[in-house]
Amino acid sequence: MGYEWDFGVVFRDFDLLLLGLVNTLKVTGLALLFGVPLGLVLALLRLSRHGMIRIPVGIVIEFLRSTPPLVQLFWLFFALPILTGINITPFIASVVTFSLQSSAFFAEVFRGGIVSIEKGQWEAAKAIGMDRGQSMRRVILPQAVKRMIPAFLERVIELMKTTTLVATVSYADLLYEANTIAQATFRPLEVFTVAAAMYFAVLFPVSLFVRRLERRLGRTGEGTVH
Amino acid sequence: MEHVWDFESVFTNWRLLLTGLGNTVLLAVVCLAIGLFLGLFIGAARYSKNRLLNVPASVFVEVFRNTPALVQIMWFFFAFPIISPFRIDSFTAATLGLSLNTAAFCSEIYRAGIQSIHRGQWEAAKALGMRYGEQMRRVILPQAMRRMIPAFMNRAIELTKMTSLASVIAFGELVHQAKTISTIEFNPIETYTVVGFIFFVMIWPIAIAVRGLERRLSRHE
Repeated sequence: MGYEWDFGVVFRDFDLLLLGLVNTLKVTGLALLFGVPLGLVLALLRLSRHGMIRIPVGIVIEFLRSTPPLVQLFWLFFALPILTGINITPFIASVVTFSLQSSAFFAEVFRGGIVSIEKGQWEAAKAIGMDRGQSMRRVILPQAVKRMIPAFLERVIELMKTTTLVATVSYADLLYEANTIAQATFRPLEVFTVAAAMYFAVLFPVSLFVRRLERRLGRTGEGTVH
Repeated sequence: MEHVWDFESVFTNWRLLLTGLGNTVLLAVVCLAIGLFLGLFIGAARYSKNRLLNVPASVFVEVFRNTPALVQIMWFFFAFPIISPFRIDSFTAATLGLSLNTAAFCSEIYRAGIQSIHRGQWEAAKALGMRYGEQMRRVILPQAMRRMIPAFMNRAIELTKMTSLASVIAFGELVHQAKTISTIEFNPIETYTVVGFIFFVMIWPIAIAVRGLERRLSRHE
């Protein structure tokens, strides 16, 4: 006991932590950029009427959702170079893993939103002569997207938390930098506490925003999907 | 590039995998039990009218929900021992991180479940002369529990996946054992494929059960 806290050492290397945070946001942003459109495609394929499409896509989604992201990351990082002969950097392995991993979750958000729209909307679209694709694009999706926003943002929070795994393949994200500084300064208590606070500072406002949004959507009588 | 798949080198190490599986399950079960138990009290504290209870409980929940689980585990392993009165090994650190994380999420599930019960139920229980604790224990919780079960099962799924993070602090669960095997046998592809399947086989049935339960509940209510 009687430990003397010294946050000075953390702030001497604060630029490194900030750089780490930027890298964390970079991986999160890129995974979103690829994961969201891919998720929409997967959701539409999973809703297909053809079993030949629906079932394999369903299996892929379930597999990505039911295995730990860390295993997926290691698999890609170690296996892909051996299988394809292409050497990949920790950065690329991370972006690919988290794009795929998050796409499976986004797919379920999209699907939940789409199936939450009442059947009458489909029928109405059909009655005015739209085909399935048009009904989806013009009638169903625009309504569904609004209900999905909270669940979607919830997934973004989860995604950013999951990106900490990249530290295990030596990509210099916030956690990796914190670990390096902690080892160099022998001040793990201060360093890890500050790193946690930095994650919190980014994620907490998003959480608050999600909650407000859910309340607002709830009040206007529009359900949200989970 | 032609890769010759060699799963035999994984299965000759089945003892390592089995130990890993045991540790994964142990960690998940212990953390789920602690999380469910603590979560109830934290949830109750958070919605108590006493500020001495609800402010710390809210801070706890927000901190654990809005920081990454891996940071929590590493904090308990590398940082906490400095101020901790007792020794911390990798199992303790992982248990602390994951149980508190699970408790924070579970407390929110309890809250949502309890709030979903109609106010008339509280009033009816009160009219029968029950005190707050009795109302909660005998009338509200038994009804709310049923609605919370799918959410708790989802937590169990998330938790089982999160146990893999304990490999980072060298706790001998499945992923850590996989690291060991792939280093000895130079077969990361096969080893991680097998470990991926083991997780899938554990988790997918729970996911299917959750969906079945949710459908049944939504039909009833």
